[in-house]
Formats: sequence, C-alpha cells, structure tokens
Amino acid sequence: MVLPPLALAGERENLMKNMPNEFKPRARKDGLVVRELADELLVYDRERNQAHSLNETAALIWKHCDGNSTIAQLRSLLETEAGASIDEQVVWYALRKFTKSSLLEEPFKASAGERRVSRRELIQTIGLAASVPLVATIIAPNVSAAASCTQSCSSPVNCTVPGCPVCPNGGPTCAAS
Amino acid sequence: MDKIDRLGWAEGITFVSYGVPVGVRVNREGMLEQFAERFPPGWKPSRARAVERLYSLIIGGVGARPGLRRFNILYGNTQKLLRTLDMDEFLTVFESDVKLHVAAGARRRIFIHAGVVGWSGQAILMPGRSFSGKTTLVAELIRAGATYYSDEYAVLDREGLVHPYPRPLSVRENGRHTKHAPEMFGGKAGKTPLRVGLVIASSYKPGARWRPQPLSPAEGALALIENAVSIQRQPETVIEVLRRALPGATILKGTRGEATEVVDYVRRKLA
Repeated sequence: MVLPPLALAGERENLMKNMPNEFKPRARKDGLVVRELADELLVYDRERNQAHSLNETAALIWKHCDGNSTIAQLRSLLETEAGASIDEQVVWYALRKFTKSSLLEEPFKASAGERRVSRRELIQTIGLAASVPLVATIIAPNVSAAASCTQSCSSPVNCTVPGCPVCPNGGPTCAAS
Repeated sequence: MDKIDRLGWAEGITFVSYGVPVGVRVNREGMLEQFAERFPPGWKPSRARAVERLYSLIIGGVGARPGLRRFNILYGNTQKLLRTLDMDEFLTVFESDVKLHVAAGARRRIFIHAGVVGWSGQAILMPGRSFSGKTTLVAELIRAGATYYSDEYAVLDREGLVHPYPRPLSVRENGRHTKHAPEMFGGKAGKTPLRVGLVIASSYKPGARWRPQPLSPAEGALALIENAVSIQRQPETVIEVLRRALPGATILKGTRGEATEVVDYVRRKLA
C-alpha cells in the first residue's frame, strides 16, 4: 500500500499505525480482572463495570495482542492452532470486537474502503476451521440493581426503595425497570 | 443522623450475619422481636459498637385523634427507605433491604440473586431478578422431589460450593408476599453444601416454549455475574468463585412458559 507522498511525518506515522496490516494491537491490562475458564476468558473491567466473555478464538487472539505482533502474525498463530488457512478478516473482526469492548490500549481503526464483514459472512469464510471470535458483554449491576423489589406501588412516587424505582404498567409491586 | 438520633428509641440490637454487623432500633418497646423474625439467616447478637448500616424503624400506629393513623417510617442510615401505613409492606421492605445489605457486605461468601434447589446431590441455580419467576420454579421443582436451598440468593463459598440460605419461600399472591415452608410443597430444606450441576438462566413469557440453548462456562458466568450482588465491590472474588464453581456444570439459557415444562426437562436431563 502506497502512502500519500505529501503526508507529513506525524501523519504518515498515524496512517501506518492505523493501517490494518501494520497495526500492532496491545491488549489492555490496567483495571481488568482476567480469569481463564477452560479455553475461554472472563474479563471484568473495573473502570466501566462491565464483564466480558471471550470464546476460545477471541481469547487466543487477545492473549497474543502484545503490541509486537502484527495482524498477519496473529493470523498465522490462528492458522497454527486451527491447522488450516484462516482469512485475515477473522483477526480484524476480533479486533473490532475488542475495540468496542475497550479491551485494547489503542482502538483498532479499519482502513478507508475496507468492507466490514458480518458474523454470518465470517462463519461462511471460516467454515469448520475455527470458531468466530466472540465477545459477549454485560454491565455489572450495582448493589441496589440486584435488589429484590418488594415495595407495593400505586404510582412511581411511592417507589422509594433503591433499585426499584418504577411501577410497571400499574403492577402491584415496584420494579427495577 | 443527629436528627434521627434525637427521635427517641425504645430498644435496639446489633447483630452479625455472614460476618456483616447490622444495627436495628425501634421507637416502640416490644416490637423488636417481630422484626428479628425478618433478620437474615444465621444472625447472632453482637457487641459491635460500629455498624455500616443502622436501621431506624419508626412505628406509627394509631394517632392522637380518633380515625387518625401515623405512618411507619423506615430509615437505612440517614436515607428514608419507606413511609407507609401498611405494616406488612414495612416488614417486607425492611427484610429485603437488610438481606441485600448483608449479601453485599459478606466477605467469605458471594451472593447471587437466584433460586436454588438440590437435585441428585447437585445444585440447580436459577439466576434472575424480581418477577423472573424464581420462586415459582423453585416451588415446582420441590413438588417434583428437589431439596429446597433458597428462593432468593445462591450463597457460594470460596470453593464454589452452594450453601443453603434457610428462609421460607416468599410467594407473591395479589402483590403480597406470603411465607411458606418447603414442606408446604412436599419437600424439605437442604443442609449440606453442593456442587453446581445445572444453571438455568430463564426469563418468563406467558405461553413460551422451553427450548434452551447451552452456554459455555464463560457465558454462564456472565449470566451469574449479572445477578451477583457484590460484583462491583469485589470482582476478583466473585470471578474466582465462579471459575471454581462452573466447570462441569450444564448451563442453559432460554425463555420459558409454565414452570412444569422446565421441571419435566430437568427430570429428563438429570435422570
């Protein structure tokens, strides 16, 4: 890929960094609690109070996002694990998921003109060689959100117990939402 | 707090449950015993002078003039939690709040909002918030032969074992909570800690058919974290406990209609 000749040094560096093939993703470490569950990963983000589960493929890619490996090298790693040829789109897809979940030090930005593949397309591409990298995310509840709502209500004004602020459709008991 | 302190208190107690000290004071003599029935399981009187949570219970009752009734008011520290004429509601909200406080503060156990029964020596966990039908499912499983562990919290130790949370089932009838012993449903309460054998993450939808999808251990952990009371306060502990508890367990997610359909499924699955 040829860089625009008039790009200034800084711009050129940024462009290089943001080009998928040159990008060297680094997994975020600070503020995260990470535990392995079989081949998967469970990640808790203390800053955002979110929990993520990474399936086997996503876990493998994320664990190797060390800031030194290029996308091509990550793909090669996947190929070794799968024992089959893997499209680079799989790594891009995973990096987009990590970016969305704030699991990378620097967000992954796709290059201009790059077409985003859907999960369905990716499944067709990969076939049985490996599973599609998946990251599931939930927002961790605070204490009051985990409350069992027990207060009766006739209007939302009556719902004073933390975590149970609403009267659902005129229901008899205050509820969380 | 000073303003509440000056209201005049007839009696009070400090107790400990799951290592969490709690204070309760009432403005009328002879009322404390009634509230003690609503304290969390395993509570013991304590001499602790400092508590993180002090409940101040103002019992209203009959006013000075005929036909006049005073509100019952519940404070958790300085926060007014409830103002009501209905004593049942007062007791229920007090019980729910004190149990939640203990669940959030416990250090040696983690609490997950879930119904729990024992089946063939394994625990079945049914995580879910209010109105997700936990108690209905628990009651139906007891009728089918399960042992009762809890209809409110799954209590797990550091090894991932599930302990009983010995309170009567709280059944909602016409917006009111009625307490029932598990014997009412033909079962009995479990006493020994169990390994997690099955997790059923279901939501109730009238008329829905139960076609559950299996979840991986990490996905199942998310379903439990979503209902873990102290996840924000002690994520390392919660995640470590779940890491120990879930391998080997079957984890299912889906929408359910009638509880009996799930019970039939469990019977076949764990036969």
